Amino acid sequence: MSGQPFRLASGGLIDRAQALDFSFDGKSYRGFAGDTLASALLANGVRLVGRSFKYHRPRGVLSAGPEEPNALVELRSGARREPNTRATVVELFDGLEAASQNRWPSLAFDLLSLNGLLSPALVAGFYYKTFMWPAAFWEKLYEPLIRRAAGLGRAAGLEDPDHYDKAFAFCDMLVIGGGPTGLAAALAAGRSGARVILCDEDFRLGGRLLAEKREIDGKPAAEWLAAALAELESLPEVRIMPRTTIFGLYDHGIYGAVERVGDHLPEPAPRQPRQRGWRIYAKRAILAAGALERPVVFPGNDTPGVMLAGAVRTYVNRYGVLPGRETVLFTAGDDGWATARDIAAAGGKVAAIVDARSDADPVRKGLADKLGARLFVGGVIEGASGGRQLAGVTIRDASGATSSVTCDLLAVSNGWNPTLHLTSHQNGKPVWDDDLHCFVPGTLPAGLSVAGSAAGRFTLAQALEDGARLGREAVAEAGLTPAGAEPVPATDPETAALQPVWRVKGAKGKAFVDYQNDVTDKDVELAAREGFRPVEHLKRYTTLGMATDQGKTSNLAGLAIMAEQTGKTIPQTGSTTFRPPYTPVAIGALAGHHRGKDFRLTRLAPTHGWSKEQGAVFIESGPWLRAQYYPKPGESDWLTTVNREVLAVRSGVGICDVSTLGKIDIQGADAAEFLERVYTNGWKALPVGKARYGLMLREDGFVMDDGTTSGLGESHFLMTTTTANAGKVMQHLEFCHQVLWPEFDVRMVSVSEQWAQASIAGPKARETLRGVLDPEHDISNEAFPYLAARAVTVGGGIPARLFRISFSGELAYELAVPAGYGDAMMRALMRAGAPFGITPYGIEALGVMRVEKGHVAGNELNGQTTARDLGLGKMMSSKKDYIGRLMAQRAALAEKDRPSFVGFKPVDPAQRLRAGAHFIGIGQAAAMENDEGYMTSVAYSPHLKHWMGLGLIKGGAARIGERVRAYDPVRNGDIVVEICSPVFVDPEGARLHG
Amino acid sequence: MAETAISWAPRSAWAGIAQAGSFGASGEAGVTATLLDGFGLATLIAGPHATAALSRLVEVKLGLALPRAPKIVSGATHDAIWVGPEQWLLRAASRDGFQPLLAELAPHAAVSDQSDARAALRLSGRRVRDMLAKGVMLDLHPAAFAVGDAAATIIAYIGVQLGRLPDGPDGAVFEIMLPRSMAGSFWSWFAASAAEFGCAVSVA
Repeated sequence: MSGQPFRLASGGLIDRAQALDFSFDGKSYRGFAGDTLASALLANGVRLVGRSFKYHRPRGVLSAGPEEPNALVELRSGARREPNTRATVVELFDGLEAASQNRWPSLAFDLLSLNGLLSPALVAGFYYKTFMWPAAFWEKLYEPLIRRAAGLGRAAGLEDPDHYDKAFAFCDMLVIGGGPTGLAAALAAGRSGARVILCDEDFRLGGRLLAEKREIDGKPAAEWLAAALAELESLPEVRIMPRTTIFGLYDHGIYGAVERVGDHLPEPAPRQPRQRGWRIYAKRAILAAGALERPVVFPGNDTPGVMLAGAVRTYVNRYGVLPGRETVLFTAGDDGWATARDIAAAGGKVAAIVDARSDADPVRKGLADKLGARLFVGGVIEGASGGRQLAGVTIRDASGATSSVTCDLLAVSNGWNPTLHLTSHQNGKPVWDDDLHCFVPGTLPAGLSVAGSAAGRFTLAQALEDGARLGREAVAEAGLTPAGAEPVPATDPETAALQPVWRVKGAKGKAFVDYQNDVTDKDVELAAREGFRPVEHLKRYTTLGMATDQGKTSNLAGLAIMAEQTGKTIPQTGSTTFRPPYTPVAIGALAGHHRGKDFRLTRLAPTHGWSKEQGAVFIESGPWLRAQYYPKPGESDWLTTVNREVLAVRSGVGICDVSTLGKIDIQGADAAEFLERVYTNGWKALPVGKARYGLMLREDGFVMDDGTTSGLGESHFLMTTTTANAGKVMQHLEFCHQVLWPEFDVRMVSVSEQWAQASIAGPKARETLRGVLDPEHDISNEAFPYLAARAVTVGGGIPARLFRISFSGELAYELAVPAGYGDAMMRALMRAGAPFGITPYGIEALGVMRVEKGHVAGNELNGQTTARDLGLGKMMSSKKDYIGRLMAQRAALAEKDRPSFVGFKPVDPAQRLRAGAHFIGIGQAAAMENDEGYMTSVAYSPHLKHWMGLGLIKGGAARIGERVRAYDPVRNGDIVVEICSPVFVDPEGARLHG
Repeated sequence: MAETAISWAPRSAWAGIAQAGSFGASGEAGVTATLLDGFGLATLIAGPHATAALSRLVEVKLGLALPRAPKIVSGATHDAIWVGPEQWLLRAASRDGFQPLLAELAPHAAVSDQSDARAALRLSGRRVRDMLAKGVMLDLHPAAFAVGDAAATIIAYIGVQLGRLPDGPDGAVFEIMLPRSMAGSFWSWFAASAAEFGCAVSVA
């Protein structure tokens, strides 16, 4: 355990009483509560934290925030291992394990760093130019090679063990950023009673106030901060959300946020999600996200030990860490000087100050003297050296002379870019400000205001003023009365003078623009030479700004160098725009609870529990779980079971759940006319107490759905739909009523969930039912013939409905009871049918029996078939109009050789048929031009003892008796089949009417 | 051959899915769930020009006014929930006498019994809004969703009927009705969402 050699003896917002042990690359270290992983590593003198993406160059911590391009580590181990986490925002916890990325075999000695020697070949466009030829090498050689070399961290490869939430929040005002601007805004709005949500990505609110030595109202800023937070916490309608990043701005004032509920813990607290994805609906929002500091492009600017000057202040003032013993400051403006001052105040040594501005300011000279630092006015850093650890810099002074200065920390200050990302999520383009030397927000999305540094108003005084003013405005716009204005607190003096340096020219060595994607100034020059000058081309050609940091520290420098190359200004060259997310978001936070089995909902029939007891194997049918078959002990495969179930039905009686079919209650004086128009066949003559099979077309003339509809009363019908189309048909009927025929008195509602329904099929179906219905109901063939449909009762007066309809071709009924009695109904049927060997059957056996009877089902009602294709042409009434009638008459749909519906049987009865096989004439080549149609459904008939098929073939029924090839290249099937009638069993229908 | 040995006991929509007890964080339950069962429920869709007659009849029979906006109106024994123009869900606390009542309303409305079509539960507790925020895409702040407000909305991809009932001893009370077949999926979401607050479940 090392002793944190770079930790200051005192100061900082860390809890020195709470030591936390952690490891990096297997080595143990100690930090304190309140540290980030980066601050703890720096406190321990760990400078080298990763290797770069392309050249595997040693990299250290550059920043202290979300923009970090270098210090990307794998966090945790096992299933919780997470790659590419930014050490600068990882909150330290006891037992934290982190590992460096992109190095092999070790961080200190990385073989692929030889890529640096090959770098002349690895410039922009290298992949496009190199891995083109031969094409065959791509899949087997190039791609795996590139994938191994690139990619940074490794995904865990295991299922994420944590739970995530998705949640919704609403507010009058959303404040994005909890620095001085955001706090002032939240206070102004909160005091007026507005519902305020204040989000900050950090675990501690305060923003730059935590990192700077500033005064507000003549007192240390920390006192103002504490008072502001205390007041906000006392306001009941203000919700403070730390560790919450607003990552996207969407239409209508909707903001996406991710709250890191448990990321600061070794694992989430019991029953707590790891993260929570929020959708926040805000009437108004204030972007107070601050600004991100810019590095300077000069050779060696990626050497560990080169750090943003503002980040250095963060480490010194917030974390009590002095990141170097000997500091050189390279600054392009006043802001950098604060770093020199704070380092000196913390007892550090400032060896030299290089101010790129040429004006010799006596105040600055005096301060340099006071700090004992050499001052280079109008100077630049020409190079940084040291490899894995900064050892010194070369300074070129205003006269062009160079001198070397030994140092282990180079603080770079080049101005700040407003964190305006959210303002461009709706395609808003930032605009260039010549005085501020940065892009500022342009046209703002509706409902959003920008305040403080995010608006380019960089001083603390401006931040407090903006926050208070916009907070009050937002309150008024949200329709509330703003509370009386409080005076904006005074701040200590500050200046933000700046003359940025986009890059140091005339120096040798690699100068990085985009650290994370290893893009150098030379790459941007190459892009300019090769004509990739528009900013979008520059980005794609060089990959500038395309890493996980999305170019937060690099986009502007790239643009500036391109401007310089093309002799244009920065705004003429282009602008930096951003898309969501602001920082990476775990997919889990977007999915919330809905993953695995909960990815979508599951519907269970009211008889589900009973089926489970019976040992059913279930199959997904849309959202439904339906009983597929009911294996008995000793049955070795599904076909054995299904054959038994089919034979049991055809010889005795079986029951099957059909609750999943759609049921629509249709009432009203015009209900019969309504049916007449939505179905192809006639309905007006349907008597009360009768069911009829109906066929429905889409407007385009193709079949939409089929099912039976029963007359329950003079103006009261019950329509059934297929399971798959229940929702679609309901929607269709609502459309027809509300849009096409609003004058109709027709009122409908889905009653699918109200009724449990079972099919009772087989020669013993009637006897079985007699044991279940209340005794007063006569269900003899005469009293209750085929297609009868009537209200009955069961269990001594429980209302039920009985339909004599059949899908299996057997004597069959469907009995419906209120869903709560579904379970009881199945048990009653089993008991009543026991003497006849009653057998539960699943949808597999149901399918076999419908193929045996040649009934069409989902495979045939596939949206591409017409009624005529399916042999149902005679159901298309010529005596009335109905939806789809006209379009079904289109010539192409009436062509004689359109494939139409017939049966198929194998010439060799031992051969198996396969659905999906295509029909080809015997002796003809298996080619598209010889394709005559395809097999839609197959099943094994235990009666015929061979496979049978249904399908669509040119010429259809006219070709019965002919033989064709059933060609199935997917399963190497190529057999001869005979075209036959689609009705394989009981073509006379004797069983049905029995 | 009447079958008398079979018990035709109804099965709750929550059977095998949820039961009385508690789960999640220990200590005082942040969320209280009451599983409802045995209520009567029907869709009423008024006939042409029949709304006034239907409203009068409901008023006389049940002492409550059918709402004309997304509201839930509670009477002594029945609630009426607006679900669309001229459409309501009528709910009876008990099924006794419910069918005869529906028969009386039938001349003025298309009446469809839905007593078994919905799983229903009532939610309250100190953290009930925090829990609901994980699934409800509506603003349930007291100022935005008052007692008597109702909405047809979506929770965890499930279409639900949500209503706010008069406050109870532990604050706001919400009621949710959802399709019976989806009760298992709903409970999976609910259990995961309520666990961190601790949940006490009872059966009405």
